[in-house]
Amino acid sequence: MVAFDKCETRPAHIDVILNGLDRYNPETTTVFQDYVAQQCEDRSFDLYANLALLKLYQFNPHLLQPDTVTNVLVKALTVFPSPAFSLCLALLPAHTQPFPASSEAQAASQTSDFVESVQKLSRLSTLLESAQYTQFWSTLNSDDLYADLTADIAGFEELIRIRIAVEVGKAFRTITAESLEQWLDLRSRDALAKFVADVCSWKVEGDVVRVPTNKENEARSEVKSERVGVDMFGRVIRRGFEQPA
Amino acid sequence: MSYDDRVNARPSLNDESDVEEEALVNDYREQVNFEDGLSDLDRTTSLGGSQAQDLQAQLAAAATPLEYQATLETKFASYDNYCSLFHYILNSEGPVDLEVPSYYWAWDVIDEFIYQFESFCRYRNRVARTGGSVEEAQLLRENPNTWGCYSVLNVLYSLIQRSQINEQLAAIKRGDDPVAFAGEYGSRPLYKMLGYFSIIGLLRVHCLLGDFSLAIKTLDDIEMNKKAMFARVMAAHFTTYYYVGFSYMMMRRYADAIRMFSHILVYVSRTKNFQKGGNSYDAIAKKNDQMYALIAICVALHPTRLDDTIHSAVREKYGEQFHRMQQGGPEALPVFEELFRSACPKFISPTPPDFDNPALNVDPVDHHTAIFMDEVKNTLFNPTIRSYLKLYTTMDLKKLAGFLEVEPEQLRSWLLVNKQRSRQIRWVEGGLLEGEAVISNDLDYALEDDLIHVSETKAGRRLVDWYLRNLARVY
Repeated sequence: MVAFDKCETRPAHIDVILNGLDRYNPETTTVFQDYVAQQCEDRSFDLYANLALLKLYQFNPHLLQPDTVTNVLVKALTVFPSPAFSLCLALLPAHTQPFPASSEAQAASQTSDFVESVQKLSRLSTLLESAQYTQFWSTLNSDDLYADLTADIAGFEELIRIRIAVEVGKAFRTITAESLEQWLDLRSRDALAKFVADVCSWKVEGDVVRVPTNKENEARSEVKSERVGVDMFGRVIRRGFEQPA
Repeated sequence: MSYDDRVNARPSLNDESDVEEEALVNDYREQVNFEDGLSDLDRTTSLGGSQAQDLQAQLAAAATPLEYQATLETKFASYDNYCSLFHYILNSEGPVDLEVPSYYWAWDVIDEFIYQFESFCRYRNRVARTGGSVEEAQLLRENPNTWGCYSVLNVLYSLIQRSQINEQLAAIKRGDDPVAFAGEYGSRPLYKMLGYFSIIGLLRVHCLLGDFSLAIKTLDDIEMNKKAMFARVMAAHFTTYYYVGFSYMMMRRYADAIRMFSHILVYVSRTKNFQKGGNSYDAIAKKNDQMYALIAICVALHPTRLDDTIHSAVREKYGEQFHRMQQGGPEALPVFEELFRSACPKFISPTPPDFDNPALNVDPVDHHTAIFMDEVKNTLFNPTIRSYLKLYTTMDLKKLAGFLEVEPEQLRSWLLVNKQRSRQIRWVEGGLLEGEAVISNDLDYALEDDLIHVSETKAGRRLVDWYLRNLARVY
């Protein structure tokens, strides 16, 4: 069961704010900001609370801290594939134009460092959501700005690698070590062997990585039959009593 | 039948949907008559001069749409009117004893209040964006707090708290008597109905501001079924499902969105005969078409078998577009965008725009469209993948890449994307935000290196529905 508005690692005082009207109180902005900083450090993630902070910024633009917003966005990247990143973007000011239509539009829209950062992170999100992992790493490594943006998030690269590995595990039974190295941005066979063994308990056998069978990569055919319950015939049966032939 | 009688009478209706629908239809007839009654009210109150009649005029005005060409002054005045009216209702000593025209009035007030907030925000943004008239820009600049988001939310939350409507609804859910939790204010129909419709109002405001998860969260205490209070007012019923469905769609919960849209569209198609001639018919017809467009988008992103009546209506209204979206590929992009723009809510920005830098004031609709279109672009090749894989049980990836004229690496990405999007959160029970991850596609596959193993979950023949329908026809 997944409940969007709950989070196991959420402290009680945050929960109280979220469930009351204080979530609109500009004074709680600092509480949420501290909470974002904490999430960046201890690798937890609380989307529902972060959205509440973005909403406070939406209502009180003068309070907006660009660094905190980009940290929230980077944290949202680490849970792909999910709507988390787009839900965050939806609360940002429209002039950030996360997905400029053309390079001219992009140049025109980049009126501040903040806008540029949002657009850069959105590009990363697109690459992750469209499963172009090799391009994701090359883009990430192409610009120093990315290093700055992700600097506050403890274990950013590892978190992304784990997500990619999880997605690979759902779709593959075996995959070439070469592909996986590129997708995970691990440069040597040893690094790959260590990562898949430590994190996923998979094995590298020669040139291929073997993923144990799980529910997702089984792909079993089945025939689903219709559920038939007595209640579905309630109306017919009632008619039968009402109109004795 | 007064409102309270209705609530008490409800348990005896049981689950027999015939009886329920009959009641809904009667309610609808009553509403149509009510709308005629309201115009009488306008006439009588406009003659009045005494204080009581003054209040009556305020009440009537609060539920009446502004003229399309209303000036800024009128909009400011209307805001002041709402403020003083809500102030009177909320902050008098003890609950006020108001003769309101009918309980439909409560819906009309909240609906109109939010509509004016929405159109004011959009107007203000447009003036700043396009330059517009200098005097208007000046006037808007000088009044940054008129129709402010904090005051609008304040009104809605205050009405909810005063009426203790959430406590009452939670009691109903538990099977307790809501009256015990209603308190001094909430036991009066005026407060109760204003509180109730304020919840629907909040749903709408959050959605307009782009906070889709909070929008859905707002309905935690409301049960989405025909017995809910909102179902007694056609426009409220309609609005609720539209915004919940839309919010689900933006959270990529397409199955839930389709469920919401289908529910209300089926209901509307059954009560069609009663809408003609009603004042709100045009508005409902427009929202109706918008929901068909949204359902077409959702089904294109998440192939589902639709209810027969809905399916034929989608084909009738959006046949060509529906077909192109289902085909996917780059040609489908403009179709998705066009339908999304025509069917999405009129998003707003809650804060005053930057009058000095017109370029900074992007239309919020453009903002949300761009965000949505990014996801559409990412999943654009899912239909292609599915249509090919349906034909095979095993397939070599390089060979398929050759058919599709793409690099094998590109195809691997598409396969991953399609697989990921076929997992979706779907509501099962509890709050509307809850749900379970389910495999929502009948086509599944796994890769063994470059060999794609395809499996298909086939649904057995569905006979019960067919059987019941034919039974009903002959018997």
